Amino acid sequence: MSAISPTAPAPGGRGADGSPLGIAAQMFGADFLKLRKKRGTLIWALVLAGAPVLIYFVVSVIQHSSDPHKYGPAGGTSNFADGLRVIALFFGPLAALLIGVEAGTGDASAGVFRDLVVTGRARVALFASRVPAALAMCCAVMGTSYGVLLLGTFAFAGNLPTPTGALILNGLGFTLLSTGVLCVVAVGFASLTTSKPASIIALIAWQIVASPLLVSISSLGSARRGLLSQAIAHFSPVHTGNGGHGDTVALSQGTALLVLIAWLALFLALGAWRTAKMDA
Amino acid sequence: MDSLIAVDSAAIETQGVTKRFGARTAIDGVDLYVPRGSAFGFLGPNGAGKTTMIRMLLGLTHASAGSMSVLGHPVPAERGAALRRVGAIVEEPRFHPNLSGRENLRIVAAVRGPEVQARIAPALVRVGLAERADEKVKKYSLGMRQRLGVARCLLADPLLLILDEPTNGLDPAGIQQFREMIRTMVEHENRTIFLSSHLLDEVEKICDHAAIVDRGKVIAQGPIAELARGSDGARNELIVGVDDVELALGTLGGSEFVREARRSDEGLRVVLSGEPQSAAQVNASLVRAGVAVVRLEPVRHSLEQRFLEVTSRLEGAPPERSAQAEEVKA
Repeated sequence: MSAISPTAPAPGGRGADGSPLGIAAQMFGADFLKLRKKRGTLIWALVLAGAPVLIYFVVSVIQHSSDPHKYGPAGGTSNFADGLRVIALFFGPLAALLIGVEAGTGDASAGVFRDLVVTGRARVALFASRVPAALAMCCAVMGTSYGVLLLGTFAFAGNLPTPTGALILNGLGFTLLSTGVLCVVAVGFASLTTSKPASIIALIAWQIVASPLLVSISSLGSARRGLLSQAIAHFSPVHTGNGGHGDTVALSQGTALLVLIAWLALFLALGAWRTAKMDA
Repeated sequence: MDSLIAVDSAAIETQGVTKRFGARTAIDGVDLYVPRGSAFGFLGPNGAGKTTMIRMLLGLTHASAGSMSVLGHPVPAERGAALRRVGAIVEEPRFHPNLSGRENLRIVAAVRGPEVQARIAPALVRVGLAERADEKVKKYSLGMRQRLGVARCLLADPLLLILDEPTNGLDPAGIQQFREMIRTMVEHENRTIFLSSHLLDEVEKICDHAAIVDRGKVIAQGPIAELARGSDGARNELIVGVDDVELALGTLGGSEFVREARRSDEGLRVVLSGEPQSAAQVNASLVRAGVAVVRLEPVRHSLEQRFLEVTSRLEGAPPERSAQAEEVKA
């Protein structure tokens, strides 16, 4: 008969505080630490998310000061909408992709994934903790960028009307939704490929080239409703396309939501599957 | 049962474990028995399959066939329970280079569980990295990374440490410290060490038991002393220094205790036919015959001799013959 003795709590089981949530929180903290200390990625993400808005305001201020009759003030609601499009639909998503890819491939590219696997912790749990960490980092970066946008909007408004509180909140929500969804998709895709360069190239090519190209091909008809960019744009509080909302291809609220969920579910499932099955 | 570990099972036990990569068989029907509380050397030349075996034990890759258990838990079925008290370094230890040594340990501690955070500082002290723990790992030497790897293992408060070529990159003083640490863990803390190496000297100095592996097969396993003596374990050999070699050869020629006696540089080489104790009978026979015995010393067979013997035997052996792994029972 085997003699048995009590030991430390099992990975995958309960922690010292008896809470699986406590373990999840620690794993989230660890993944967030990895991202926070990845200075190169963080700086690039901040540059991509914040610099275009800054440049936009600087150029607008210069134009306005050089010819006030031809160019209006740099701030106000109209410029806020332009800035929102820049950070939520163009450059913010690129920053989100960088963060997501870093979160998805960081352990594998540093060669420490196997050291995390040999702790006995479920591989799916290792994957799952990347997602909130990436989202938190993405929110921090995009929040900073949105702060710059608001600052410019109000500081340079002159005699122009400024955004209402509702629009400001909607804009923030839309920015976080747009970049957050892409960030999560990037975590899943990068975990699937485990290659940082391949993931960055493929996702940026999709976001910048393939997706707008497919939207412009009208012969694809309603199939274009399945594009992530269209589903995201649907929730834009400012006009971004020819559809009923911010989308180019008209979508119902339900369809847009389903498309978002489908993309998230697909890439989360693929990332988790690959993380669970790959040789470490 | 998740928080319980069976303590009287083997630390590692495998039966018929096989790993194939396409048509190539990297590990071929390996049976291993690693007793608890021992330092076990997994000895083989580069490319013999040592790392592949370790990767399967740790659930980093799947076995194509066979069964394995670690600390009494079947792997991979109960991988989580099996590995919770296992620390491992596979190949060279890798870390996030932009994080400090302490931060790297914090990450692993977070994955292992909240109670593990308290083990970080003692682990850093034990491996001698406490003062440089807050430097980024990219500034560490290979030896420091090895030590940080051991510290990472210690976070598990391991009953079993699996170390893959652990002294790579260590300087002689570091190797000596490492050996002492391993022996302390085994002798005073009752931990089990499974150490893979191609360095015979290292295994012989650190380990009590070993398995010799070559081309994916375990050729021999058991206590180091018996392994070194070989499967013809009765080969107890003596160096005998005498004043009259001819008379000694004549005397021992008819002795029932002597299987073989021959002249050598030291005097005589005598292979005993029985137990090592029969050396006393040899001595008595020579003295009775009037031969002055000035030296009587057992020949110490080195693991290196044995290793070269069994691996070179495989070089010329057909596949069928080499498949017959020989085992020295403990």
